[in-house]
Amino acid sequence: MGKPITGIKKYSVTREEQLENDFSEVKEAVADNKEAILKGIQLLKGLEEGGTLDTAYAFTNAKNEALTRFVEEISKDQYTPLLENLPSLIFLIGELDVKGIRELTTRLNQGIEEMEHVSPDDKTNVLDIAKALKDPNINRSLTLLLGFLRGMGRQ
Amino acid sequence: MIEREHTVVTINGTEYLGESGQNLLELINSTGESVPAICYNESLGPIQTCDTCIVQVNGELIRACGQTIEAGMSVQTQLPHVHKSQKEALDRILEKHELYCTVCDYNNGSCEIHNTMAEFGLEHQSRPFKPTSYDRDDSGSFYRYDPDQCILCGRCVEVCQDVQVNETLTIDWERQEPRVIWDNDVPMDQSSCVNCGQCSTVCPCNAMMETGMEGEAGFLTNQKPGILKSMIELTKKVETGYGPLFAVSDTEAEMRESRINKTKTVCTYCGVGCSFDVWTKDRKVLKVEPHPESPANGISTCVKGKFGWDYVNSEERLQKPLLRRDDHFEEVEWEEALSYVAKRMNEVKAEKGADHLGFISSSKATNEESYLMQKLARQVIGTNNIDNCSRYCQTPATKGLFRTVGHGGDSGSIDDIASAELVITIGSNTAESHPVLASRIKRSQKLFGQQLYVFDLRKHEMAKRANAFFQPKSGTDLVWLSAVTKYILDQGWEDQAFLSDWVNGFGEYRESLEPFTMDYAAKMTGIEVEELKKIAEEVATSESVAVCWAMGVTQHMRGSDTSTAISNLLLITGNYGKPGTGAYPLRGHNNVQGCSDFGSMPNFYPGYEKTTDEKVRKKYEKAWGVDLPQGTGKDNHQMIEAIHDGELSAMYVLGEDTGIVDANINYVTDAFEKLDLFIVQDLFLTKTAEYADVVLPASPSLEKDGTFTNTERRIQRLYKALDPLEGTKPDWVILQEVAKFMDFEWGYTHPSEIMSEAAGLATMFAGVSYERLEGYKSLQWPVQEDGTDEPLLFTEGFPFEDKKARLFPLDFELQYDTDEEYDLHVNNGRLLEHFHEGNMTYKSEGITRKTPNAFIEVSEELARDRGIKEGAEVKLISRAGEATGVVTVTDRVKGKEIFLPLNDNGKSAVNFLTDNRVDKDTNTPAYKEIAVKMKVLKKKGKSPIPPNNHRRGNPVPQISVKVQDKWKREDYQFPGSQVKR
Repeated sequence: MGKPITGIKKYSVTREEQLENDFSEVKEAVADNKEAILKGIQLLKGLEEGGTLDTAYAFTNAKNEALTRFVEEISKDQYTPLLENLPSLIFLIGELDVKGIRELTTRLNQGIEEMEHVSPDDKTNVLDIAKALKDPNINRSLTLLLGFLRGMGRQ
Repeated sequence: MIEREHTVVTINGTEYLGESGQNLLELINSTGESVPAICYNESLGPIQTCDTCIVQVNGELIRACGQTIEAGMSVQTQLPHVHKSQKEALDRILEKHELYCTVCDYNNGSCEIHNTMAEFGLEHQSRPFKPTSYDRDDSGSFYRYDPDQCILCGRCVEVCQDVQVNETLTIDWERQEPRVIWDNDVPMDQSSCVNCGQCSTVCPCNAMMETGMEGEAGFLTNQKPGILKSMIELTKKVETGYGPLFAVSDTEAEMRESRINKTKTVCTYCGVGCSFDVWTKDRKVLKVEPHPESPANGISTCVKGKFGWDYVNSEERLQKPLLRRDDHFEEVEWEEALSYVAKRMNEVKAEKGADHLGFISSSKATNEESYLMQKLARQVIGTNNIDNCSRYCQTPATKGLFRTVGHGGDSGSIDDIASAELVITIGSNTAESHPVLASRIKRSQKLFGQQLYVFDLRKHEMAKRANAFFQPKSGTDLVWLSAVTKYILDQGWEDQAFLSDWVNGFGEYRESLEPFTMDYAAKMTGIEVEELKKIAEEVATSESVAVCWAMGVTQHMRGSDTSTAISNLLLITGNYGKPGTGAYPLRGHNNVQGCSDFGSMPNFYPGYEKTTDEKVRKKYEKAWGVDLPQGTGKDNHQMIEAIHDGELSAMYVLGEDTGIVDANINYVTDAFEKLDLFIVQDLFLTKTAEYADVVLPASPSLEKDGTFTNTERRIQRLYKALDPLEGTKPDWVILQEVAKFMDFEWGYTHPSEIMSEAAGLATMFAGVSYERLEGYKSLQWPVQEDGTDEPLLFTEGFPFEDKKARLFPLDFELQYDTDEEYDLHVNNGRLLEHFHEGNMTYKSEGITRKTPNAFIEVSEELARDRGIKEGAEVKLISRAGEATGVVTVTDRVKGKEIFLPLNDNGKSAVNFLTDNRVDKDTNTPAYKEIAVKMKVLKKKGKSPIPPNNHRRGNPVPQISVKVQDKWKREDYQFPGSQVKR
């Protein structure tokens, strides 16, 4: 019946039809994922309230630019020690006896507190020191310090 | 029962039982002990370049991969000095390969360097990374080479030399800085590389990588080169020690999993049936990754399967149904197109009868779609006028096999071809038409002493490699085959036991051979008597013979008879039913076997059950609830004739560019113009579709589920990798909707249901189910109900009542020849890189860049005679039509033979020249019998073969990577002799 033809008249969708189609597609997706979408809105709200959303938005827009700048900057020689220290620092944190340090810090704070009660004009003579050794608090402090010195000096 | 020999080996104090001759590394791997091994790959075997698998054997440090196990061997893999040697080898690798995994596109969980280092627990680089002085080679379209990441493991060389056997890659161990080189050190794009992509498949890291992966695979890899470099530096600074580096990069690799899909599919090009994972990100195809367990191909691919997928996302894909409106098509909604199709088919049927409609299935579509197409024709319309494109190619082979051995398919598997002692190819340009299968033959011949005899008009790659090459006169293969068979009988060299146990019809057949004397054969074929005798002796004395043939046999007026002659010869010499033997008609399309298997034939229901068989018809009538047509329908050829005769008024063509691929296209397209209704279902507005009244936009293989059957009768599943492109539908969905509009509710929700219906009806597929075909599993028909299949046919007889094969008597008369006016013979065939009319492969920019169009091969003698040179333009004129094209002068053809690749749909389309001559038994067009005269339009010009075409390359054959040359280097010391005990 027909000679060979190649011309194609494209099917044209009006803007309204296109909108209608897109809208019904979205509507269907919303219906299928109601829970997730509501939770998503909660998440967005949380981000918005904390101001994080603005930051994230700005960062997303400038992602490549930001990455480029960051990488270029951080690659400079002056940062090399810092970068090389970073992983060491992480390992260091891993090795620290945090519980011990916390105890020590509490004691340090107590000491500082006590120190503030001491008037700048007060003086201490040898006799006062000998007397002070009898004070159990002072004695414990000195004993701890001696122990620390022993540990630190150990090879 | 054969007792298998076993060998006891002690590894780290525990005794293990190995197989005699087993590789030590293979045994260690199978025990759960672990040694690092980077260059070793199961599919390639030991290469011995990386030195990482050092172990202690009887007190000596050696490479485990270089050792065959022996009884009583004592092996240590964990002693400190063993460990130290291994570490030394690994350190050497890291001098060559920078680990920046997080920003590397190869960091997808399978990087073998990454994984080996991590498993070994290597924490620090002992020596700094040393880049080479070479630049990256980015010259190719499909993969690139980065010498700074290359560890010189030599896998790429091994695969190129000994698996693909294209022999392009070597490593030059003699230069200061060794590297992989192409040919004699040219850029990859200028080399003999055929872009099979196997080097990038086996590369253990990112040195040889598919370009599709670059900047796509990782989350952080798509950066400008400068930034990428800085990021690599940064990664190294931050990730001191490999522990953290691996932790970060492994996490990133996991993240990639969520957006890169890896889907198993089966290649949609030739009949070899390669299967692989296709990696996709959204609609982008990143790469194709074959698996060692891919049953037909292992790790192998060719350029089309590995890289030829651009057509899937081509801009030219149709995305709306088209309806003819006077002088143009109009895009319409599916609803409108389908109701038009249904209404018009009903009208034609009502006015003129069901047999006025004809259906053509596609060998590109799935088995399930072939089944539905014939169901549509038979159940919904009520006609047996259904056929498929195997009519154009392999129906004569099927015919020849049905006559003699009862099954119309390959007798065995590709493994049988690879293990045959003698392989004969007849009329098959195997290296270009079935490249992955050809590689198996090339490997066996190169490494394992297989003999290869090639019979062809044209001196193609297989001919150049052959142990013996013969050029019989066109169309005379039947004569030499019969004469060789006769000579074998005359000498008493036949397999008498086999003949008496398994073969009928000897007496009559023996008599029919009388005319086929040596002298007659020599006269008809041009092969000398002495040579014919040698061929006979070789066939008769070889332990196992496999014969592969293709269009050079079938597309002749005696295609079926010649195929029969092949089968006769194999029967006489007992070459059926044993491993390494049999008949192999190499199927051209991915599913040309399956399309016929599943009933798209005018005389067969699925599984080759006859339409004329009352019992069969009743079975289908019961299943489909209608009365079915009796007798047989029209084949392709008869349909076209019937249109001219006014006996066929409507045609439905699915995925077939009939207007280009059928012979004598002027005659065919004239027929199209006469149709009342012409429906075409395709991806593109093909030449055929231009004549249509309705064009239905379909989806290609990557966008659907289904099964294909390859040349080995192997049924394999493909999984949907992408959603159908918007506006298109898979063929099975379209067919089901057409049926629905014609009031037949099929109700399939998945192709697996179609398969289970077919398996329930056709005895041949009784045990076929999607569960049994999961992943890389496959079945080779016939498949019994319990799932037993037959990789090798005829081991327990032939499918006839008394289980005996039949010798089939033949005669011969030469009906075609050139004459004084039409003095040149045109041969035609495939090119490696393009497929068929090119609707798919010309969409690939990379392929088209290297092979932009078809060309006419002319011999040096003929060029001299006609005074033409490379680049000349000629017009070929046959009695049916004319075609024009650009000439390349080559020694691949001789004398007055001309070769024209069939991969063109423009003015060079070969089918402008072919006529209506057909095989007398099957109506397959005699495409290979074209006599033409040549008119010179321009004497010389620009060569049609660009400088970067692989045909211009210079391969460098060698065996493996020549690791001995590495060991000879002054700066090389075996890590085992370097460590102190």
